Amino acid sequence: MVLLRSVPPPSEGVRHEQGETTAVLDGKGLGAGTLYVAETRLSWFDGSGMGFSLEYPTISLHAISRDLSAYPQEHLYVMVNAKLNDEMQENAHDDDDEDKSSEEDECEGITEIRFVPSDKAALESMFSAMCECQALHPDPDDEDSNGDFDGDEYDVEEAAPEHGQGDIPSFCTYEEGVSGLRAEGQATLQRLEGMLAQSVANTFHMAGVRTDEANGEFDDGMEVDAGSTVAGQFEDADVDH
Amino acid sequence: MPLLSGLFYSFFKSLVGKDVVVELKNDLSICGTLHSVDQYLNIKLTDISVTDPEKYPHMLSVKNCFIRGSVVRYVQLPADEVDTQLLQDAARKEALQQKQ
Repeated sequence: MVLLRSVPPPSEGVRHEQGETTAVLDGKGLGAGTLYVAETRLSWFDGSGMGFSLEYPTISLHAISRDLSAYPQEHLYVMVNAKLNDEMQENAHDDDDEDKSSEEDECEGITEIRFVPSDKAALESMFSAMCECQALHPDPDDEDSNGDFDGDEYDVEEAAPEHGQGDIPSFCTYEEGVSGLRAEGQATLQRLEGMLAQSVANTFHMAGVRTDEANGEFDDGMEVDAGSTVAGQFEDADVDH
Repeated sequence: MPLLSGLFYSFFKSLVGKDVVVELKNDLSICGTLHSVDQYLNIKLTDISVTDPEKYPHMLSVKNCFIRGSVVRYVQLPADEVDTQLLQDAARKEALQQKQ
């Protein structure tokens, strides 16, 4: 359930609160209200108490929009991995709006929401707060993650429950270095980076890294006896050996 | 399995600053420069462009974005930035290390 009409804005763990913020849901303006970027969920409520909440796992991406030629005001853009109509109820398929990609969506559909604050200077804080809260909600650990993957539901996040589940994960930019990694992670990074640095330019056929299938291959590989050859686990890769 | 995210976390960290195309599970493809990645493979891109603007016209106006790791289907990389043999070797080595 994406929208929780009767749930009030959270009072705890609010990383950012932005008043005088208009919400535009799939192009329909909902008027001015207050955006609450909380650790548990993202909420927006207008003055009369009407509003909606979003669960972070349903937010595919969010971004700051500053191009006024594309949209007349700077705002926070949010793409939700679900279909919502203007009654703020979740809808599995919205056949009324043909300008949406409903016939191409194999899953629940997409909703685009804009949060337009009157204070444009707050956009960075709103964006950052959402990034932090998103990182607090990785996908739940899947019991099948040990190799029995069906493809579309396998996530790398499920493979790392021990890594700072209670910690606040941090983005690692190149400049920040390895400070966020644990000892074995640092060793891995150094090993990997050392190996990468030594690599000579070669010709490769593969242009993409598949984060889901490839991980499944590695996953299977770890369950195979160390003595067995592992060439077969990469058979899905496009590289010709 | 902390190994997997560790390996790809390291791998993507080594690609920060490179241009990539992130294809989401909802079929949206976003082209941009890899700004940063976290342990859950959430991705931040800068200087983005949308490869299918007709489908998602509203995306055209955004410059920087945060993509939830779990909605990523593929990350397309320049071929000359990826040493696949190295990556496979690293994975094998890590698998052996893990067993010790």
